[in-house]
Amino acid sequence: MLCQICGKREATFHFKEVINGEVRELHLCEVCAKEKGWDKPFFMPGFPLSNLIASLTDIEIPFPAEEVETVRCPICGLSYEDIKKRGKIGCSSCYQVFEKYLTPLLERIQGKTYHSGKIPQKGKVKNGLSKQIYELRKELKEVIKKEEYERAAEIRDEIHRLEKDEK
Amino acid sequence: MKNKTTLQEIANSTSGWLMGNGPEADVVFSCRIRLARNLKGFVFPPYAQPFVLKQTAEKILNSVRKSNYFRNARVINISELSPVEREFFLEKHLISLEFIKSEDYRFLVVEKREIISLMINEEDHFRLQSIFSGLQLQEAWQLINAVDDELERNLDYAFSPKWGYLTACPTNTGTGMRASCMLHLPGLVATQRINGVLRGISQLGLVARGLYGEGTTPQGDFFQISNQVTLGIKEEEIVDNVGKISRQAVEEEKKAREILFRKNKTELKDNIGRAYGLLANAYLISFEEAMDLLSKVRLGFSLNLLPKVKNIRVLNELLFLIAPAQIQIKEGKELSSFSRNELRAKIIREKLRE
Ligand SMILES: [Zn+2]
Ligand SMILES: [Zn+2]
Repeated sequence: MLCQICGKREATFHFKEVINGEVRELHLCEVCAKEKGWDKPFFMPGFPLSNLIASLTDIEIPFPAEEVETVRCPICGLSYEDIKKRGKIGCSSCYQVFEKYLTPLLERIQGKTYHSGKIPQKGKVKNGLSKQIYELRKELKEVIKKEEYERAAEIRDEIHRLEKDEK
Repeated sequence: MKNKTTLQEIANSTSGWLMGNGPEADVVFSCRIRLARNLKGFVFPPYAQPFVLKQTAEKILNSVRKSNYFRNARVINISELSPVEREFFLEKHLISLEFIKSEDYRFLVVEKREIISLMINEEDHFRLQSIFSGLQLQEAWQLINAVDDELERNLDYAFSPKWGYLTACPTNTGTGMRASCMLHLPGLVATQRINGVLRGISQLGLVARGLYGEGTTPQGDFFQISNQVTLGIKEEEIVDNVGKISRQAVEEEKKAREILFRKNKTELKDNIGRAYGLLANAYLISFEEAMDLLSKVRLGFSLNLLPKVKNIRVLNELLFLIAPAQIQIKEGKELSSFSRNELRAKIIREKLRE
């Protein structure tokens, strides 16, 4: 079997990755494995960074190309086009500025768009608003489970209102 | 690096998580949790100017110095390290592949037992890590959660109620958490059940990785199970899922070891005895060969086939001591591959006699 990167040398490193029951394989020669830094997998358990970021570039964005290039984050100065190219977000305010692009992206990568884990201690005390939104979102989940859709709509409105205040 | 002795001290001390004293340590080599955190209002490292990196590093180091968990910590400036020295920390599971290439204002903070460590200005402003021996993800989570709380007292994290902890890469957004177990599965590899088992136990949001197959450069049958999804799930659920799936893999591995033992007892004993014999008597040995043989000996130890090996700690330590950069740092200079092979063989002979 030939190396999947150079296509010339015999592959001696056979990586296996099983995600959601699906097996993916990657075959590399020693030279290419070394180059990627994957020649000692035991010592770098993060390998082989399954190229999730490819999805950053793949994802269709239903917005005019012009906007993607001209709207810039006021803190880091990046456009969404820049972020896409590099596959990395610029700063915390990018998450607000590019919310409409990042929401479908995160949904595709993560399957969800709302945090339900830990919140910073300070956030709990100082930022009462964040805490309130967080609690409402938990409640929202509950009422949806119970199929109380009217109440769900109310909570959703309340969340939107609070989110606007926060900005 | 300016301070060579610091490195040699680290090279000569055993990481706390290598002791092999955790539950299921003969299958679960180690477990670890890392949290990605960023500071509010600062550009993330992939795009940050050096003066920004300097500011974030100062802020984080300031908070680290106030933390009880880092009282005995060493702060290592990555930019002062030579390539071999960087490799050394990579082999010790303390820095990442990305970090190894980094420039100014990158720091590694590591406490004496190497259970808790911190990479400053990697892809995120910092990444906190805790590693434990065996299957102790709960313990690792409790500890890292407390350290995170303490660090946060003096830092303003980039956090949004909608998306949680904001990270440079969208694959970490939310909890910023990666929980993983490093499993030693020679039984499943030898009985050729590894594929089926990994596929069977894999579930939504988890990933299993490893090297495998005929003609593979031997690397000792190690596999890693970790979470893929970080958003919309609680930290405790991630810990639970990865822990549960790892436990299933442990059970399958134990079954496979029993099958091996029952079906081909003599062959197995021969195989393991030869591996031990080579390790105990070789004078030149490559990293790959040593890794492969140690994996067999590790299996032999857990099946009580090697009365000469006193505990698993010796084997765990050896897996690290034989890595190329470890040997060179211990020796205090860069070595040719021949000299490394010679020294590696010596280290193994001596360690097995301990
Ligand atoms: Zn190649
Ligand atoms: Zn930005």
